[in-house]
Amino acid sequence: MSTDNNSQENNKIKNKEEQEKSKVKEYTIELKNLTKRFGEKVAVDNLSLNMEKGTLTMLIGPSGCGKTTTMKMINRLIQADEGEIKLNGTSVYDIDPVQLRRTIGYVIQEIGLFPHFTVYDNIATVPRLLKWDENKIKKRVEELLDMVTLDSSYAYRYPLQLSGGERQRVGLARALGADPEVLLMDEPFGAIDPINRLKLHDSFLEIQEEIKKTIVFVTHDINEAIKLGDKIAIIRAGKLVQYDYSAKILYNPANKFVENLLGQDRSLKALTLKKNKDFVSNEGVITVSKDTTEDEVLKLLQKKNQIIAFVLDKNDKLVGRYWLEKAKKDKVEINYDEEPILIEQNNTLNETLSTMFACGEKLLPVVDRRNKFKGIILLDKIFEEFNK
Amino acid sequence: MNLFQYISENYNKIIDLCMEHFFLFLFSLIITTIVGIAISIFATEEGKENIGKIIVSVTGAAQAVPSIAVIALVFIFVGIGKPPAIIALIVYGLVPIIFNSTSGILSVPREIIEAGKGMGFTKRQVLWKLKIPIAIPVIMGGIRSTATIIIGTAVIASVIGGGGLGDLIFVGLKLNRPSVLIVGAALSAIMAIIIDHILAYIEKLITPKGLKVKR
Repeated sequence: MSTDNNSQENNKIKNKEEQEKSKVKEYTIELKNLTKRFGEKVAVDNLSLNMEKGTLTMLIGPSGCGKTTTMKMINRLIQADEGEIKLNGTSVYDIDPVQLRRTIGYVIQEIGLFPHFTVYDNIATVPRLLKWDENKIKKRVEELLDMVTLDSSYAYRYPLQLSGGERQRVGLARALGADPEVLLMDEPFGAIDPINRLKLHDSFLEIQEEIKKTIVFVTHDINEAIKLGDKIAIIRAGKLVQYDYSAKILYNPANKFVENLLGQDRSLKALTLKKNKDFVSNEGVITVSKDTTEDEVLKLLQKKNQIIAFVLDKNDKLVGRYWLEKAKKDKVEINYDEEPILIEQNNTLNETLSTMFACGEKLLPVVDRRNKFKGIILLDKIFEEFNK
Repeated sequence: MNLFQYISENYNKIIDLCMEHFFLFLFSLIITTIVGIAISIFATEEGKENIGKIIVSVTGAAQAVPSIAVIALVFIFVGIGKPPAIIALIVYGLVPIIFNSTSGILSVPREIIEAGKGMGFTKRQVLWKLKIPIAIPVIMGGIRSTATIIIGTAVIASVIGGGGLGDLIFVGLKLNRPSVLIVGAALSAIMAIIIDHILAYIEKLITPKGLKVKR
């Protein structure tokens, strides 16, 4: 019985693999037998890696493993000693390096915003290098500011006047300036404090869903890699150790090194693969407009036998929360929170779980990066997922 | 003979010496600025950062050499007259401008240059759109020190035939006529102050706004 099941299972897997093989994959970036030496030291050692169109590939490994060198060889900031790099089928060595770089978005850890340029001019950098029409540039800058959720009044500020998180958003907008197909990101969120980093992660994932760029993302943080990446390439001493979808790496680490990198709490990390938006429900959720009076809310809640109602403005943005509390026998008090605790749709279940523990709520509202209400998530649902 | 009497009797001569001093200064400043910045740009090119660092330490030390020593050396090797005086002014004036421009350009944050290159700036664009504008306050600081130093050194250069306000001071000293000496000293001091103010104003004008905003 059990052997039957196993063989069926195996067949299924085989079929799937064949299906995947038969699909012709579109590779945007192909690295073939890349080698780079710095003097005696071999930084990148015969590394081959293909990145599919529209995927976010994380390069991860200990510092000095050659991940940044690998990335910088793609836009030719570092010249490879041996091997081939193809971008959409064309060798990067057939393209003038300056022209090549104008077609590839680039974000570094320190961001490197130009301090003497306004936010507008920073974002307009590559379009101007490409001699776009000023009207077109203006439209593009406005569009990008909106995408990274910065108010248009930011356009004429200078980098020194921005917070770390805002600078990071401008850095991303600048890299997307001329709408490049490929984006290279070198630990872009490395210098940001943990709370802002979470927010930026969520916004970044949401933006990537909209724009579907081919992204190469260097990090040394395994949690970041699992959370953001479609695929993860683990590099050690210039060699590729394992390259696969995040889930596959998490469940089938290739060797001890990968296991150690993933850490002890792999089952808990698996929750990192799940995003809130797949567990949002709207069942029995009560929302009211800003104009609804307290009495009306109270009646509505009692009628529907619920204890929480969310207040939304005209644009469906979450602005507050009513909740009932049994004060004395049979007497119910209604309370209002102006800044309800909330989570973003691209937060992972992992993060949601810790938020729930931290604030002692079994139910949290879910919003997108513009604070638009999407539904709620329940603690029970997370436990269900964990038990699977 | 008192001071006012001297001035009113020698009005034209004083004005002439003033103009002579000013043009000596202006010519030397223009040459030192162009040559100094050119040397700094060359020494801070990518891959030549070590030359830049050597130049910073050499010019840093050279600032301690007294101006009279430079003038004496020029006198020995070139001789006497206007051209040797100008050579001495240019050589001595180059030191602060090279020191400031080189260290200013070298101190432009590495990540800004990398971001620029990574986005497709050419070498020339990295220099003129990033390095120079960001280093402007430091470069202007160098030009201001050079200007002050040239005006002061030009006074001393009159001993090798440079002319200018130095003539009044040395004549005053030799003939023991304080009023002549005071006119020469006061006018060169006033000229130095006015020119420093003008350059400070230019510095304010050309420093990019983004470098001056409050955090």
